[in-house]
Amino acid sequence: MPDLTSADHLPKRRPGGAALHPSWLPRQRRGTTPQMIGRYPDFNVLDAVDTWDEATKKVVLARLEPPGPLRFFTSDEEPVLRALCDTVLAQDREPRVPVAEMVDGKLADGLLDGYQYADMPDDRDTWRLVLRGLDHTATLGYQTGFAGCAEAQREAIVSEFAQGRLVGGAWDELNVAHAWSVVIRMMLAAFYSHPWAWNEIGFGGPAYPRGFMRLGGPGADGPAVREPFEQPGATDEDPVQVVDAWER
Amino acid sequence: MGTFWRGILKGALGPRDNDSRFLLDVHSRDLPGETTMARYRDDDEVDLVIVGAGAGGSVLAQRLARHGWRVVIIEAGPFWHPDEDWVSDEAGSHPLYWTQKRIISGADPIELGKNNSGRGVGGSMVHYAGYTPRFHPSDLSTYTDDGVGADWPICYEDLRPHYEQVEAELPVAGQDWPWGYPHRYPFSPHPVSGAAEKLREGALRCGIEMRVGPVGIVNGTFGNRPHCIYRGYCLQGCKVNAKASPYVTHLPDALAHGVEVRANCMALRVEIRQDSGRARGVVYATESGGAHRLQRARYVAIAGYSVETPRLLLASVSRRFPSGLCNNVDQVGRYVMVQGATQTAGRWPFELRMYKAPPPEISSEQFYETDPARGFARGFSIQTVSPLPIGWAEHVLADGHWGWALREYMRDYNHWATIGVLNELLPHPDNRITLADETDPYGQPIARMDYTLGDNDRANMAYSTKVITDILHAADAQDVLTIQRFAHLIGGARMGSFPEHSVVDANQRAWAVPNLFIADGSVCPTQGSANPALTIMALASRLAQRMASGAAMDDDPGARTGRTRSRAGNRR
Repeated sequence: MPDLTSADHLPKRRPGGAALHPSWLPRQRRGTTPQMIGRYPDFNVLDAVDTWDEATKKVVLARLEPPGPLRFFTSDEEPVLRALCDTVLAQDREPRVPVAEMVDGKLADGLLDGYQYADMPDDRDTWRLVLRGLDHTATLGYQTGFAGCAEAQREAIVSEFAQGRLVGGAWDELNVAHAWSVVIRMMLAAFYSHPWAWNEIGFGGPAYPRGFMRLGGPGADGPAVREPFEQPGATDEDPVQVVDAWER
Repeated sequence: MGTFWRGILKGALGPRDNDSRFLLDVHSRDLPGETTMARYRDDDEVDLVIVGAGAGGSVLAQRLARHGWRVVIIEAGPFWHPDEDWVSDEAGSHPLYWTQKRIISGADPIELGKNNSGRGVGGSMVHYAGYTPRFHPSDLSTYTDDGVGADWPICYEDLRPHYEQVEAELPVAGQDWPWGYPHRYPFSPHPVSGAAEKLREGALRCGIEMRVGPVGIVNGTFGNRPHCIYRGYCLQGCKVNAKASPYVTHLPDALAHGVEVRANCMALRVEIRQDSGRARGVVYATESGGAHRLQRARYVAIAGYSVETPRLLLASVSRRFPSGLCNNVDQVGRYVMVQGATQTAGRWPFELRMYKAPPPEISSEQFYETDPARGFARGFSIQTVSPLPIGWAEHVLADGHWGWALREYMRDYNHWATIGVLNELLPHPDNRITLADETDPYGQPIARMDYTLGDNDRANMAYSTKVITDILHAADAQDVLTIQRFAHLIGGARMGSFPEHSVVDANQRAWAVPNLFIADGSVCPTQGSANPALTIMALASRLAQRMASGAAMDDDPGARTGRTRSRAGNRR
């Protein structure tokens, strides 16, 4: 059982830089987290919803609505998109933050980030090319589409993608390193805008008009002082065996 | 004034000639005057039309309106209603940014959008963090001192009274400031959060002094502006009205004195009389594909910031200016700068919850000036920051983590604190804004930004990254994650003493068009290691004073070249 004060659960502190299997984490008891794992099993950011202002409430709670059908991506692209989102964000089971739908909605509505690399097409075209490229690489390497690959195979492809090393097919129409930046930025922004992800990481969420009083500065309270509504982090209180060496 | 009285009066003295803080409504965040402000007809020749309602344009308008000028501001973005439009949420703040497409290129392309570009009444100060340091006197003479960058045509003494005035108007809270030109702030420093305190401990152990502030965030109350509630969403627009932006510091007073802000209007070109070469006004459109309108004015000031100001000039093509307005000597869009803004985060055994308290807390300018022993010219400042979850995810990603490892680091969020630098990156003529072939929905060519670092820049960034990483280790951080990034924009239409090497003169008046001024950060020839907002406001304040007195329209060559005699007074 990792000790949270030791930091030995952090990938860079571990041999090979690999993450621990999440089996060491407690199951969420209150509210929802992605895959029902997290470090704050008794914290639910939505318990504070009555302290949020109306405008914020509207924007954040809309993310909890059941996701609708895809509007931007085609049915051919959908499995690749879902497989990419699952792999990049390590969402291997339900409940999932609907990252694919959130990305799809942004692209359908043209809510882009305001810049485009000169050696790249429009972000919307980049997304389509990336999905085609992933299928191209998967077919070459594993004789199946990206969505049909095993998790380890998808991770191997995404790892090459992250390092800008994929070539051939649609990849030749892209600067692969820039393409990685375009797609992962949008996936991360979607995932970590979702209240379930805030529950997982213990983020306090919207804070207007309530604000914070206990900032944890110098003085008697010390840095670890908490607001009454903040829950401390925890490890698993119903221990299961930690899978240390992650064998698949 | 003695220390005793200064202490007693801290936070009690307000600025003169600016009633914005009293005009605001305690029960509503809307900008008072939106429905009652003056309205001018397009064919009514107003005294001044300004493009851009941000830091520069708003201060210029407020000042000149106080002198009885009839002013219209053309603003591309919306008139905000913060209670409804702004949210206490990262992703939901997307509308605050300039997200219209721009092309980025060069060896080190700069990410624009939320990182550095605002759109809407109040400009990018609506979503800046809130740090408001001054430039140092040495920033204005880097060429003379160090043989790099450029000298400004003005000196620190030209700016100092305006720094003081703007600091009183924001108002700035912070400890007494020992660096650059030593000065004090009108409001006391804010309390320090646990995350920032941890970083300060590390800095002290490294022999680095850090001070609380300076931030444009009310500590106390200020007219009808309330105390900060430390919710940590400074970069998402302050729904409290505690953080300074022109929306609360200058526009209320401007609207009360006859300024019209024409929102959702995209400026398309500055119209030039082909006979006299004077500007007639600004052509703009109220919607994409809509009719073009011309707001006539005696004077035109452009304050669209470092991308949009050059873009507007370059798009204003005429017989007199075939390659863009003021661009017959190919200076428009050049010397655009950003600051290196590497951030590094450390991990501690206990929960710090860095999302509480404003992201800008404490900073140091100990490494600001040139130190030959470091092996590069100029320097950097150090500032604490505190990313919210999406920002934190980008930080973790930049250190090379995705998938399971990213989720693990993200779950550890509450244990981390983040410190960053601002490197002074040097101006270079090939770092520039040009027009791309593509057009936007208004039919206007979109901007392209090319950016490539120099050797001095790389050396500065590498050195500063080591300094902040050492701070984390000195504070016993258990793990460290680093992101290399850039922040802020400046330059692109610089001021100078010679028309061949600059776009505007020492009065920010265009060399090529006698009644055209540039009133934003694009006039800065260098940038120091300070966040630019305060300096942009101070420059606009100075410009307004000189336009009101007529000094800015002085055709005397000496007046246009600027002050060079008082170099001695330029140093401290």
